Amino acid sequence: MSTNPQDRTNREAFDPGSHIGEDRVAGAPPHEHPTLRAELRGYIIGLVLAALLTLGSFWSLQEGVIYGPAIVMALIVLGLAQVGVHLVFFLHLTTSPDNTNNALALAFGVLIVSLVFFGSIWVLYNMDHNMIPVKALLQMRGG
Amino acid sequence: MSTSTGALRVGRDPYHLGHAPSTGEPEYTGHGAGGPAPKRIVVGYGFWIFILSDVILFSCFFASYTVLIHARNGGPGPRELFDLRNTAEETVCLLLSSFACGLASLAVGRRSLLWTEVALAVTGLLGLTFIGLEVHEFTGLVARGAGPTHSAFLSAFFSLVGCHGVHVTAGLLWLGTMMAQFPAKGFKESIRHRYLCFSLFWHALDIIWIGIFTVVYLIGSLPP
Amino acid sequence: MTLLGKLTWRAIPFEQPLPLYSGAVVLLIIIAVLVWVVRRGYLPYLWREWVTSVDHKRIGVMYCILGAVMLLRGFIDAMMMRSQQAMAYNAPGFLPPSHFDQVFSAHGTIMIFFVAMPFMIGLMNLVVPLQLGVRDVAFPTLNSVSFWLTAAGALLVNLSLVIGEFDRTGWLPYPPLSELTYSPGVGVDYYCWAIQISGIGTLMTGVNFVTTILKLRAPGMHYTRMPMFCWTALASSLLIVAAFPVLTATLAMLLLDRYVGFHFFTDTGGGNSMMFMNLIWAWGHPEVYILVLPSFGIYSEVVSTFSGKPLFGYRSMIYATMAICIISFMVWLHHFFTMGAGADVNSVFGIASMIIAIPTGVKIFNWLFTMYGGTVRLATPMLWALGFMVTFAIGGMTGVMLAVPPADFQLHNSLFLVAHFHNVIIGAVLFGAFAGYTYWFPKAFGFVLDERLGKWAFWLWVIGFWVAWGPGYVVGLEGMTRRLDHYSVAEWRPWLLVAAAGVVIILLAIIAQIAQIVVSVRTREQRRDLTGDPWDGRNLEWATASPPPSFNFAALPNVRDQEPYWDMKARAREIGQLVRPEPEYQPIPMPRNSSTGFVTALFAVITGFALIWHIWWLVLLGLAGAYVTFVAFAWRDHDEELIPAAEVARLDRANRAARTARLQERMAERDSTRDSDT
Repeated sequence: MSTNPQDRTNREAFDPGSHIGEDRVAGAPPHEHPTLRAELRGYIIGLVLAALLTLGSFWSLQEGVIYGPAIVMALIVLGLAQVGVHLVFFLHLTTSPDNTNNALALAFGVLIVSLVFFGSIWVLYNMDHNMIPVKALLQMRGG
Repeated sequence: MSTSTGALRVGRDPYHLGHAPSTGEPEYTGHGAGGPAPKRIVVGYGFWIFILSDVILFSCFFASYTVLIHARNGGPGPRELFDLRNTAEETVCLLLSSFACGLASLAVGRRSLLWTEVALAVTGLLGLTFIGLEVHEFTGLVARGAGPTHSAFLSAFFSLVGCHGVHVTAGLLWLGTMMAQFPAKGFKESIRHRYLCFSLFWHALDIIWIGIFTVVYLIGSLPP
Repeated sequence: MTLLGKLTWRAIPFEQPLPLYSGAVVLLIIIAVLVWVVRRGYLPYLWREWVTSVDHKRIGVMYCILGAVMLLRGFIDAMMMRSQQAMAYNAPGFLPPSHFDQVFSAHGTIMIFFVAMPFMIGLMNLVVPLQLGVRDVAFPTLNSVSFWLTAAGALLVNLSLVIGEFDRTGWLPYPPLSELTYSPGVGVDYYCWAIQISGIGTLMTGVNFVTTILKLRAPGMHYTRMPMFCWTALASSLLIVAAFPVLTATLAMLLLDRYVGFHFFTDTGGGNSMMFMNLIWAWGHPEVYILVLPSFGIYSEVVSTFSGKPLFGYRSMIYATMAICIISFMVWLHHFFTMGAGADVNSVFGIASMIIAIPTGVKIFNWLFTMYGGTVRLATPMLWALGFMVTFAIGGMTGVMLAVPPADFQLHNSLFLVAHFHNVIIGAVLFGAFAGYTYWFPKAFGFVLDERLGKWAFWLWVIGFWVAWGPGYVVGLEGMTRRLDHYSVAEWRPWLLVAAAGVVIILLAIIAQIAQIVVSVRTREQRRDLTGDPWDGRNLEWATASPPPSFNFAALPNVRDQEPYWDMKARAREIGQLVRPEPEYQPIPMPRNSSTGFVTALFAVITGFALIWHIWWLVLLGLAGAYVTFVAFAWRDHDEELIPAAEVARLDRANRAARTARLQERMAERDSTRDSDT
């Protein structure tokens, strides 16, 4: 909540697009208004790139386009690239110091997602591997 | 570094174990020196953290899906079930919907009620189309006997994609409410902040859809 | 499809005396309290000042009260289990097995979700904004929603005592036992919906505090000037944000299995029940660190205050805290070493579990070094800290023993394990809650608690704990497994009798704590805290009045160093007057109170109850009600009210006068001792 009296002026300030929010240097005025043209350009570039990457993903499923065993990796790379396009062009996530908190939060999220996803797969794969095979199980039961 | 030398300072700190000066830190609000950050940044960041928690929720469903993908109970697998044309249509809908949402936030930034409502309506219609396509796909699968109660793989598939669909539906409900709030309340600060949260939510749902169509539909359609 | 779903009169346990009579007693107590409140005319006050409050201080107190009340319920469950096990040697005891199962399940569920979590979150609520030098948390109304959703979950769990039954599957409902085939009753549903509802509340708290700590601090408070309690609150909140979605997802999968016939964890259709254990412990391990990290922060505050020294190794404490935060997400498999992942996987997680003991050790050494060379005052909070250090260190060591997979194969699910986790949770979390509430009670209520009764409570708790749980280790090594409602091994009997005696000692301790509160309230005028700083504290929460005004600080402090309040006091003593001149008092905008939290929780209880009993029309009504509540909240025109400058001035001037008076007293003392020395 806005507890800093100086921030009363920020209430009427322009808030450009769906930015998560950049920290400001204390006492500095808010960011300059970008022009409509500049902002639109950002979104259109994002849309075009995302569309191209999507097309690429579907296209790489066709026979003979990409070396067979590499298709999965290609799909993952294209998918991650598209996520990046969304983050940069639609969510305006940058690497500048005013975005540090946002980027760090994303990094933390990615870490946890990786641990849960890959950790679960690894653990369950090993457990399944150690399960008694069905035939032997049925024999043990006398069936 | 504080220069207080009152009697309460017990000794020096030659190894900087406790009281190292915080030099070199940028004086950004939210990093400390500037005091509490303005409300818009607080709201945006809080919602961003919530979105990350939601992504972690989805990762559990992704993990279950991947673990259970081969548990087919004698029934069909991904290759037999998925219609990639339908997936492509859904993807286009959601991507354009995300773009429209971005345009709506530009309109909100410029306080134009007309363009805000138009862009939000387009966002909503594209979102509804997406849901319609998905419901059609689900009912089709159930009719073919490949419903979620048939096998663990199908349970995981319906839950993962369905969870995303439930989020989109909730988003549409939110969108409808916002479309009513803008004419009623104008561009008050709290409404704009709420819209910021909605647009972050909507873009995040598109990001998750990228994960779904890549991992579930495209990779699932590959030959083993 | 009947109107009331599965709900019939048979849901009320008319033929089971224990739940029936205890339910009736509780109902009578509730009615008596309500009647007293209404007749004394307190209802408008309670509604206006507490139920609809969005003030973090009020919400924090309500969380602590919820935790304390549920501690009594959970402890009664503990007494029942201990007496049953003391009696049931070659005998059936007094609890039928199905009841015993519900008792141990309820005990664990209540203690973790509705005692430990509310206590820690409550103290975080009360203290963090004050320590950061700001007026409230980032999202005050959301804070209220969080509290009431937690209370809603607690209500549902307690309702299961008199309407229906609770789950018999333990505090974590493992499938396939918890699936519909083997648990067709409503017990598991009560559990799942109560936890899902309160889980949403907790997740919101996590988001709230991460945002508050990272974005809302007083001017000049860099990260390395934050109090240690705020650092641990940050780490705990990050873990909440990371882990609670996993709990929500996993219970949702179980609910889908039970309600719609999905096959996530069933033993037919390809389900994989091991996946439940995997996911639930991926939440479960971070959960215990969510509990323990704030209590580590409490100890940091208490130890530095009562040693009269700054916390030793502040930087290393930060690294240790964040290391624990990250590593705690890499050890979860140690809860199911025996499930068959194999030696490779077990080793990785075993080593990680041992590594996490290192930053914990760093923290203990830092506390010890803080005490070394300081002037240690053995007030009650400090006693709790010392009791913690001894108790938790031993418990932690047994944890490292359990982290060795071959050892764990012997000790898994034995009383050794149960003794270990009671050791660490009681030693760290519960003692921390006790230290915290004793330490910050004056801040919240304006008067100090009775020291003598506090010390009695401490000693009875420490002795009682060791008498109750020391035998647990022994009997675990002798092969006793957990959750036994009867047994026939003669070697265990004396130990279980000793454990029952321990529980009696703890009962006396709890009576002492209740007496402490009652006596202190009665004699509160003699123990008023007039300046806001009864302990000679070091951080900013002691720089305001006790209790603080709703706006916390008339003007946000300018922070120049760590332990800013200590710094302010030092400079004040140098210059002979309060460091800050009277500020130019401005009107202060504060968030308006709101019934959103209470009403949302009301609809949550309705929806949860309806889902449990399959009353589908009521589910729709409840969800619609919740939606309408959100819209009503979103539609309000005024979300802030202005506190007039005159009011701010009046409150602040009173506190400044008291502080100036005490400063002058202190300086006069110092001068007189100096004169007498020369």
